[in-house]
Formats: sequence, structure tokens, C-alpha cells
Amino acid sequence: MNAYFLKEHDLAPFLGRLIAVTKVIGPVAKKTKFVFAELRDAADLRLDYNSTILPPKKVFFPPQQPLVTFHGSQVKSCIAPVDQVLFGVHFYDMKGIDILDTLFRSGYPDENYLANREHTTIVCSNIQKVAPRAFFATAGPEMTPQGHDAFITKIAGGYVFDTRTPKGESLVAHGAFVPANDAQTQAAVAENDRAFNACPQQMKYSSADIAKKVRASFRNEELWKTLAADCLSCGTCNIICPTCYCFDVQDTWNLDQTSGVRTRIWDACLSPGFAEVSRGGGKTQNFREHPHQRYRHRVMRKTTYLNDTIGGPACVGCGRCSLSCLADIADPVPIVDTIMEA
Amino acid sequence: MGTCSCASQHENIFLPREAEIIRATRVTELEKHFTLKMKDGAMQYAPGQFLEVSVHGYGEIPIGFASSPTREGGVPNAASALGCRTFDIVIRSVGRVSTAVNTLEQGQSLFVRGPLGKGFNVDVMTAHPVLVVAAGIGLCPTRSLIQYIFDRRAEFGRFTLFYGVKSPKEQLFLGDLTRWRGSNEVEFFETVDRGDETWKGNVGLITTLFKKTTFAPDTRVVICGPPVMYKFVVAELDAIGIPHHHVFVDLERRMKCGLGKCGHCQMNDKYVCLDGPVFSVAEVERLEELFS
Repeated sequence: MNAYFLKEHDLAPFLGRLIAVTKVIGPVAKKTKFVFAELRDAADLRLDYNSTILPPKKVFFPPQQPLVTFHGSQVKSCIAPVDQVLFGVHFYDMKGIDILDTLFRSGYPDENYLANREHTTIVCSNIQKVAPRAFFATAGPEMTPQGHDAFITKIAGGYVFDTRTPKGESLVAHGAFVPANDAQTQAAVAENDRAFNACPQQMKYSSADIAKKVRASFRNEELWKTLAADCLSCGTCNIICPTCYCFDVQDTWNLDQTSGVRTRIWDACLSPGFAEVSRGGGKTQNFREHPHQRYRHRVMRKTTYLNDTIGGPACVGCGRCSLSCLADIADPVPIVDTIMEA
Repeated sequence: MGTCSCASQHENIFLPREAEIIRATRVTELEKHFTLKMKDGAMQYAPGQFLEVSVHGYGEIPIGFASSPTREGGVPNAASALGCRTFDIVIRSVGRVSTAVNTLEQGQSLFVRGPLGKGFNVDVMTAHPVLVVAAGIGLCPTRSLIQYIFDRRAEFGRFTLFYGVKSPKEQLFLGDLTRWRGSNEVEFFETVDRGDETWKGNVGLITTLFKKTTFAPDTRVVICGPPVMYKFVVAELDAIGIPHHHVFVDLERRMKCGLGKCGHCQMNDKYVCLDGPVFSVAEVERLEELFS
């Protein structure tokens, strides 16, 4: 839609006015790391973050989300979205949100996610600092994120604010925005290019070649056992992933023991019981019993299984799994290299 | 900006419907047979589809329909194409939810979501011989198809039913079995892995029943039972020359949400709850995780 310029010292007043009228979520510091959290004070916003511990998927798909409440024979839906602004989302995380939008919309549209999404205005921001293991420039480069409402880029002296939707445009009324000039918009393009070229890692192969070779390697048991040899089955790589959306559904009673809530809780396909069914008499059958089978399933999900549905790999190159894995065996770049060269 | 006032327009796919238990019969030590009646209208389903059945406070489990949509109150009903108010399910106590369900009795309620998944493709079976191979609790979901065939008997060719259980006391639907033994509409063969003093019939795995009769290569086959059984049955069908796109398997996985979202039932790139639970063998035989 339109490109605006906001002077550096006008960002805090803009956010302050936004916080006064709506819930605003953005990156803030947490000890030595960053998290997406509700902004109480504009000064808490840290657009210079490199990456957050959890991706912003939690804004629409919380780690624990009530689905229905029950009381006697009464059941009620818990869908009650709140208008909010998600501010400062990096390119790769926007891609993750786009992927989840497609997945929650496909088949049976899941309003538990979609209603939250619909009520959120998303402002992306340029990547001022690049995370140590990121490779977002070469992770599914054929996919361009589409779902954001505006994009803010830090340039010398201020910010270029590109609006993409009427929801994004409506934010402009809260700040001292002026139309951006050509030099400012060009500076923003250059700044985004710089970050794009600053990834410390690169995926060397095309998404299509990776999908084909990884899928064809399914039965190479030795390869998967070697790759997964140190896997602790902890599921951290799932929990921190912007495109993982597996969940468990659990019922809990309230103290009155007559009412309660059915909640969905993030789950991890790496955890041992994920694909296990009861057989009775204390017996179970586990369809992915061994750690290397679960590890393989994750790699298949990220590189090939979902590609037809979402238009590319379900990996955005954020580098979170690489940094979070205690055994350091989750980084997609060396995994793919090993498979491609096997 | 503020809280959404449009909660009613967001349909919640996790919202269950209430079904009253109008009959509850314990059929074996582990299994209970329920007839349910929807409180808020009809249930329009196809044989082989399933429900997420829940008891508040315990959770949900996937359970196949154990009666045909051609029936109402257990008897054929021409109007049931518009949906049934009543239908059957059978629950085996294997875990927390199923054990909680099996404490319920007539007059109490269960909660259900569905129908879910893809059922049996009866169009492919029409005008052809049909063989149903059901083992153990696999008779429950296939009963929806068996009743369907009985109710539209003229639309199908020769109908053969193989039923196997570990021991005679594990046989389900004893009334049905008695009727099928004396019926001239089905050729019914049964077996047990281990007999007892009361058992006069065949003893051996379900595949031993293939020696009792012959089949034409255009037979449509449905298999439902423990996963270990499938490959042995398919080997028998291969010997007859029945192509794999005419052989259907009803698969069991951990179908937690039933909506193709939660990921628990995924078998390679297939969601068993969405793409199945009924698949042709041709569709799934190349999947490495099919019988693992």
C-alpha cells in the first residue's frame, strides 16, 4: 500500500499510543535472550533482537489452549479472540506463521487458531542482528511470506514503515508518520538485503532436490541411526520450531469435580509415546518406537511430507533447533548435507 | 479494539455433541456394546467412518461405528439415508478413557465428535463378490459394512465373512454370529487361535480359513484386525490374484484429534484420521510406516 517514515525518537510515542488502545506483543529481553511478550512499556521493545526463544506462533497457538469447557452435560467453546498487534516479527517467523495459517486452514478449518490469527495485526521488522545458526535466506527460498500487515525497517535516523493491508494502514494514525522518500525506501531495501546476505549458514541444495533425496533415504536405517545416535528424544527441536504444530488434548477437572476444561497442549513427535496406542492388558504398540524413527519423522516433516500442501519445505531457517538441541544434532543444514552426500 | 463479539461465528471443530446411552451391554470381560441416541438430531455417516468419543474429565478416543447407517434402532430403515438418530459403538477397556466410558450405563450420556475420516468405498464393492476378514475387535468397525451389505444384499455379489478371535470367550455380537451361521445370505467362517472344551469349530489363525473355500479374483476384500495379521492375509489374496486396489484395510493409529491436525496418527505423509482410516492396500503398501 504506502511507505512511511518515522523518526527514531517517534517510535516509542507511536508504540505508547498503540499500547494505550490495544494489546501489543513484541520482542523483549529476557536475561541474555529474547522472547515475544506483551509490551507494558514502549521502551521494552527490542527490535535489535537476533531471535526469540520461542517463535511467535504462541500468540495464535498457545502452549496450552483451552478448547472447550464442560459442566455437567453443558459444553462451551472457548474461542474468544482478542484484537492485538504482533510487532517486530522477523521474515523467517512470518514465513512460519504463513505455513501454520495454511495448515490450520486446510481440511477442517481450525478456528481455535484462525480466530486468533484474524484478530491480530502483524508488523514485521527487518533483521538487525542475525542468529548464530540461521540460514533463512536459503531455506525454501521459493516461498515468500504474505500474511503480514506492515513491515518496519530500521534505517539511519528512523524507520521505513511499509503498509500492506488496511489493518496495517490503520496503525499509521497512531504515530507521527510522514510519506517516505525514495532514498529512504531504497535504504530500507538495502538494509533488508544486507541481513539476507548475512546468514552464517547456507542450504546448498534446492528444496525439490532435498525433498526427493530425503524421502528416498527413508530405508537407509544406518544413516538415520548415525544421525540420531545422540538424540535424547526430548522434543526441544519440536517445541521451538515455528512450523511444528502437533498437540495433545487433555481434560482436567476443576476443584468442584463436576466442571472442567479440555485443553490442547503442544506435543512433540520426538517424544517416545507420541505414536503409541494401547492394546489392553498394559500392552502398547508404538508405531515409531526407536529414537531414530522419530528423528527421521521430524526430518521428513520438515523437508518433504508437507511440501505439496504448503508449497515448499516446513523449515524457515531460523536456526532455533540448532541452538536449542542439547546434543547438537538437530541443525537441518548438516543433516541435509549428510543425506544429500550419502 | 477489544474482545471479539463474534464468538458464535467461529465454529469450534472440537465441540462435541451429546449422545444418550439407550442400551449398554457388557459383551466380554473387556468390551461393552453401547447403543447411542443423538440428543440434537441425526448422525449422517458412512460405514467405516469413526467418532471421537469422550467422557468429560477423561478425554477423547477414536471409535468406529459398529452399526450401519442403513439401520435405525437396529433394524433396516429406508429413511436413514438422511442420518440416524441411533447407532452402535463397542468399547474395549484398554486405557483411561475407554475404562471410564465402560463404567457408564443406560440413561447416562457420552459426548461425540464426527463422523470423521473416510469409510469403506461401497461403490467399488457394488455388483462384486465381497469378503470381509475381521479379527478380534476388528469386527466392530466392519459390522457397519456387514450390516450395510445385508440391508442392500441385492446390490452385492457373493458375500463371505471370516471372523477370528484368540479364544471362544472373546467372540463379540453372539446374536449376530448365530444369525450369520444360519444365514443363506452370507458364507460365514469362524476360527479361534486356541479352542476350549465348548469349541467345535476351526482352530488356527484366520488365514487357515482360506483353505475352506475359494474366491474369484474380482472379489473386493476388507481386512480389519491387529496389524500383524494384514500382511499374511494379503499374501493369501495375492495367491488368488486379487489386485491390491480391491483390498481395503481399516487402520488403527493414535487418532487424537481426528481432524488431520494433531499429528499423532501420521503414517509417513498420510493422516490416518483424514486420509483413512480405510485405505486400499495399493494406496498405502509403499509406505514404510504401514505395518511397522
